[in-house]
Amino acid sequence: MRQILLITDGCSNVGLSPIVAAAHAKSEGIHVNVVGVLDHGDVGELGATEIEEIARAGGGLSRMVNTRQLSQTVQMMTRKTVVQTIQLAVQKELQQVLGNGSIEALPPEKRGEVVRVIDELGESSGLRVALLIDASASMKPKMAAVEEAIHDLMLSLQARQGKSEIAVFHFPGSRHGDDCMMDLAWTDHLNGVHSIFPKLQMGGTTPTGPAIMQAVDYYRQGEAGDYGRRGRHETDGMMGDYVV
Amino acid sequence: MTTSFKLELRRGSVVVGKWKQGKYRVERLLGEGANGKVYLVQKDRDWYALKVGADAVDLQSEVNVLKSLAKQKGQGMEPFLFDVDDLYGPAGREYPFYVMRYVRGTTLASYLKEQGAEWFPLVGLNLLSKLGRLHRAGWAFGDLKVENVMVADYGHVELVDFGGVTAVGKSIRQFTEIYDRGYWNSGSRSADPKYDLFSYSVLCIQLHEPRRLHQLTKELLPQNRSTVELMAIAEASPALKPVTGWLRQALHGEFRDADEGAAAWRLLMHRKDTRRSSSMPGWLKGMVATSGVLLAASIFVWLLRNVWM
Repeated sequence: MRQILLITDGCSNVGLSPIVAAAHAKSEGIHVNVVGVLDHGDVGELGATEIEEIARAGGGLSRMVNTRQLSQTVQMMTRKTVVQTIQLAVQKELQQVLGNGSIEALPPEKRGEVVRVIDELGESSGLRVALLIDASASMKPKMAAVEEAIHDLMLSLQARQGKSEIAVFHFPGSRHGDDCMMDLAWTDHLNGVHSIFPKLQMGGTTPTGPAIMQAVDYYRQGEAGDYGRRGRHETDGMMGDYVV
Repeated sequence: MTTSFKLELRRGSVVVGKWKQGKYRVERLLGEGANGKVYLVQKDRDWYALKVGADAVDLQSEVNVLKSLAKQKGQGMEPFLFDVDDLYGPAGREYPFYVMRYVRGTTLASYLKEQGAEWFPLVGLNLLSKLGRLHRAGWAFGDLKVENVMVADYGHVELVDFGGVTAVGKSIRQFTEIYDRGYWNSGSRSADPKYDLFSYSVLCIQLHEPRRLHQLTKELLPQNRSTVELMAIAEASPALKPVTGWLRQALHGEFRDADEGAAAWRLLMHRKDTRRSSSMPGWLKGMVATSGVLLAASIFVWLLRNVWM
């Protein structure tokens, strides 16, 4: 199972539409969840609509929270999306057997076994979550909470029986012209990782769409082989096709 | 994260099951969990609790747990689950529900407020026995917190909201941050009996020092959360003094399961009893008096049996 989790506090303002990018992700079998972090003031109507739309296009969930709720939300969303992904796959199977794929169409006494299988698969299937962090200037006071949420998510994933990994990106990249930068390659532990974003220069534009495309690309490359080992490198070379 | 669940069942309305046509008259809302709402309902003059949810899979997961607990016969498990069905909400949408036994009781915090803190040791013991039953069946309760413990007359304890119940070895399905072992940097989020005992300890602190605990969670940096901080609150609390040693052991995972924890908890009371410590707090005296009465009662019953048989 593959997920992208976007944490942002506003509108994208450069490059490909993040909604188009999220739809791309979905077509690759990657679900896109979005958390809008509020705190004093709000993301604005435009931001709120965009956040909702990205999740809808990406087949995921969206939530607006303040920093105090961030860890809990990230953890619950990831879990819920895992269950939904499995559920969709199981429903496809049911469709072939029963001609009607929805679990609600089954009488209650027959649901038990199906749900037991969903729970079992949700716990034991492999899972990868690419976290995409908006590092624009307004996010600066929220970054401590973001780091905590990432550590907390890792803790939850480590309790799963299936192999679980995360990767962390922030955008915009630190140097001019980079849409996105990798902070952490696929890993299943954060022991000893105190600071995920060591020298973050906050600010610049908000290229949410291109950043999502880059995460999708990372999945593709990671599955092909060596990309994960490149670690903390700028990845703008990969973006050629998508930068508008 | 609360799901956007807006269904409201009105008082006096009648819920009819789609599959089995069971009819339930709605009395009032009892509470709200992460996966749905619980209503007090009536059927054939009997009272039940009806839980209705938005998601068939989430609710069925709970039903599966309840069913597997029901199978665990001969261990004093009362019948719990009565019906599982769907109901028609407004606009023809269907909602899954299940019907369970209704326990007339109040929340743990208000019970102790109304009946007196001297009930705390006994209620605590009863809660540990409830957890012990789950542990023996291979489950952890998961989301143990003040809100999920109901107390009926004479300290009878009932756990509510089984949405967090998880098979041992799997990842905890649902938890609340301040009760969570992981949140306090003190262990994994995998289900095991020790996870519940950790939450139980936080629950004891939450009951007696809610303001200090709340303050602590607001002030501490995430990396500084630890059992040391929790113990500092417990040690400064006069009400928790008799159980600080027990709490330390539970927070450090030194009890294998709730049965072992309960045995130690019981011992704690008896030890104070035999010592006749003059510094015995009020609630402990109450406890001693209660066990005295119980002893007298059991001798009486024993005499009766021997006389009549």
